[in-house]
Amino acid sequence: MNLSTFKARKASMLPGLCLSLLLMESATPALAEDGERPTLTVYTYESFVAEWGPGPGVEKAFEAQCRCDLNFVSLGGGVDILQRLRLEGDSTQADVVLGLDMNLIEEARRLELLAPHGVDLTPLDLPISWNDDTFLPYDWGRFAFIYDSEVLPEPPKSFEELLDAPEDLKVIISDPRTSVPGLGLLLWIKHVYGDQADEAWQRLQPHILTVASGWSQAYFSLFMNGEAPMVLSYSTSPAYHMAVDETDRYQAAEFSEGHYLQIETAAMLAGSEHPELAQQFMDFVLSKDFQREIPLGNVMYPAIDLGDELPEVFGRLIDPGSFTFSPQEVSANRQSWIREWLNATSH
Amino acid sequence: MRPVTECHHQPWWRRAEANRLILPAALVAVLLVAAVGLGSLGALLMQAPNMDVSRLWQEPWLSAILRFTLLQASLSTLLSLGGGVLVAVVLARRPVFPGRSLLLRVMEMSLVIPSLLALFGLVAVHGRQGWAASLLDYLPPGGTSSPAYLYGLSGIVLAHVFFNLPLSARVMLQALEQAPSAHWRLVAQLGLSRGSVWRTLEWPQIRPLLPRLAALVFTLCFTSFAIVMTLGGGPGSSTLEVALYQALKYDYDLALAALLAMTQLLICLGLWALAMKAGSHAPLVVAGGTVAGPVSRRDAHGWRRLSDAVVVLGLVGLLLPPLLAIVVAGLGGVPDLLGDGGIWLAALRSLAMASGAGLGAVMLALLLLAGSSHLRQHGRGLLASLIEGSGQLILVLPALVLGTGLFMLLRPGLGSDLQGYALVVLVNALMALPFAMQVLRAAVTGLSGAQRRLADQLAVHGWSRLRWLIWPNLRRPLALAMAYGMTLSLGDFSVIALFGSPSAPTLPMLLYQQLGSYRWQSAAATALLLLVLVVLVFAVLSALTRKLPRYVWRPGSVDTTGLTSGGETATAPATREEEP
Repeated sequence: MNLSTFKARKASMLPGLCLSLLLMESATPALAEDGERPTLTVYTYESFVAEWGPGPGVEKAFEAQCRCDLNFVSLGGGVDILQRLRLEGDSTQADVVLGLDMNLIEEARRLELLAPHGVDLTPLDLPISWNDDTFLPYDWGRFAFIYDSEVLPEPPKSFEELLDAPEDLKVIISDPRTSVPGLGLLLWIKHVYGDQADEAWQRLQPHILTVASGWSQAYFSLFMNGEAPMVLSYSTSPAYHMAVDETDRYQAAEFSEGHYLQIETAAMLAGSEHPELAQQFMDFVLSKDFQREIPLGNVMYPAIDLGDELPEVFGRLIDPGSFTFSPQEVSANRQSWIREWLNATSH
Repeated sequence: MRPVTECHHQPWWRRAEANRLILPAALVAVLLVAAVGLGSLGALLMQAPNMDVSRLWQEPWLSAILRFTLLQASLSTLLSLGGGVLVAVVLARRPVFPGRSLLLRVMEMSLVIPSLLALFGLVAVHGRQGWAASLLDYLPPGGTSSPAYLYGLSGIVLAHVFFNLPLSARVMLQALEQAPSAHWRLVAQLGLSRGSVWRTLEWPQIRPLLPRLAALVFTLCFTSFAIVMTLGGGPGSSTLEVALYQALKYDYDLALAALLAMTQLLICLGLWALAMKAGSHAPLVVAGGTVAGPVSRRDAHGWRRLSDAVVVLGLVGLLLPPLLAIVVAGLGGVPDLLGDGGIWLAALRSLAMASGAGLGAVMLALLLLAGSSHLRQHGRGLLASLIEGSGQLILVLPALVLGTGLFMLLRPGLGSDLQGYALVVLVNALMALPFAMQVLRAAVTGLSGAQRRLADQLAVHGWSRLRWLIWPNLRRPLALAMAYGMTLSLGDFSVIALFGSPSAPTLPMLLYQQLGSYRWQSAAATALLLLVLVVLVFAVLSALTRKLPRYVWRPGSVDTTGLTSGGETATAPATREEEP
């Protein structure tokens, strides 16, 4: 008996059928259609599977070619995907995980649950070279400070300018211990300033309005309320504002020192019950059918050259130099770098 | 009076033996709570090979975090309770004024709105570019400095008071309204001054609530995560849960996570033990009938109108603008909202889960309270406190530990999505338990010794006692407790995020998805819908229990028994109900 029918029977044995129908509306129609199709389970994060995110388009395109059911399980974020893998170990239901960023790769690799992806990497179009045989990039972006051009017509052009700016220029950042962009900024400053990073943090300190717990708090609760003219986010954020909100008001500040990279990856599980399907999905990741959902669905850069299919607004984004630490360096130093940040910024 | 022998013909659930069911039922509830709470902590401990308590002292930031947390939580608790007393006394003194019931709805709302939304509202009002700032610009001094009180200790305390003052005031108001009607009439007849009313009636009514309420508010402030971090201004203002998050999610250091969780558990449970000791004596005034007819109070006239008005306006000024900011932001997205089928399905899903969580919380709270009051009546005070204390366990356990521990325990069984949702409902119910217990306590323990003895003599047992003596007093608190339970679950994202979910989102999940994709307008509209649902839940449950029950005892029929004081009096409609 395959997994999907087993799941359906288990559910029907439980009381509260109404509730189950309501809660499981996504799974039920596919089963009714054809009970024999295998299910490929993909762990990913919330915004990927949103109605307007890349998930639905990816699911439709993949199901058209695989004669299977693509089942997304959405978790809070990349860290939660890693956490779920740790907790489940060999017994995980996942066939593929989608959403581990570079800073989580080493920890995930150490679990020894993942298999080589075997995908030809030549179509990759990243700012850095990539030859990892387990983790396959599916999109990327750069961390950047987004500014409100109506309040701040002349944003700083470099980290140095930001650090030297008058004290009333405030920025909103997020905590590296609980947020992905927060960790990104920590690594960004470490990469630019090296041993002087703690000094840079002390110079940045007067400009920090507050350190939010997460990106949503920083961007939505504070920045969109006009609390500060600059917020830590991604350089691709303005693409959404320009394409969907149709406003040029919010732009990314380009720093001459270069910007830190964020690369998100997919990986397949060694213990997958459907290795061929998982492999088929990994091959699908770098296809145009998958990648064209990324720019406006995930508001990130696609991992391949989409040519004309790249939305026009992406051509109007900043295009600075970029860099990154290796996943091994991040894994080895993250704790001590966070301690360094705590010491530099706690009073 | 019926001959006593007749009760042998009654079905078992009306006999005295039925009273004995209370204890086993309460025990089952305790076991359930303890299994979930201690079980999840235990699962974490099992996986953590070498526990070394000294690590706690080696972490340099720990004492700093603890000191800051104690400071902000104590301040927040003090202000929330102090303000709450003021507001409750004024609202009890003014049973009728335009907009009173609306104000009560708003008070109920502030506790349960998701912290992310509250943050948005508070920033829109109190932030550097907020409404308050633009108001201040008009003031004579006309200083150029924008107010910066939102970031730092003052902002954290402001946010916590915004959350907790209304809850405290709401619970205290309910206690004041349950003071025996005879007392209020006496106060009116004697024309007591404000100070005397306070000493003789209000303070004795409020005082028994304070220790537990303080412990609850302190715990909420102690564990508040997003508020403290985001408004704190820097890493110096943080909570234990940040360290825990780091230990559990990034470092996968289960031993440290378990240590931190136990630190929090010990501090908060210690506090609860203190509170229970301080408040363990029975309430001086037993819950009685509500006031019959409007009472004209001497202390409610003249210039005192002004001071009362100031308090009410202060409350309105604290609560309404942030909520209004959320509503204003959401209005723009409403047209899109109406045509979006997904959001309505999400709302239905959320409501279904909230109903489950609300019912669960209320049932568990009733069982625990009935069990502990039964024990207390039989002189087993310590055991009673223990049972009652178990209800607080889930609140003082970090959600992250709860989620991870439960996942470890149940992993092989977590097969279907439905089971995942059921688990969320269960945990939500347990998280709402302390609130439900707070609201229900007075009503459950409400039968006085004399009433109980009389009921025993008259052989009013089991089901009959519940139906005729306890239920009339219980209806409205029950509705309020159910509403808190439902709406807390409605706005909860923390638990559902722990277990992961299929593509069918609940309302808060939808909200976060929208935020994560820059859809501010839709997110604000979703937030608005969430607020509307919260108001609806409170309004509907309040309306359902507003009318007097049909079976209310007729005038004069039973007054001689003295039992009427245990229920709502039938002599006149209960005009001191919340709504005019």
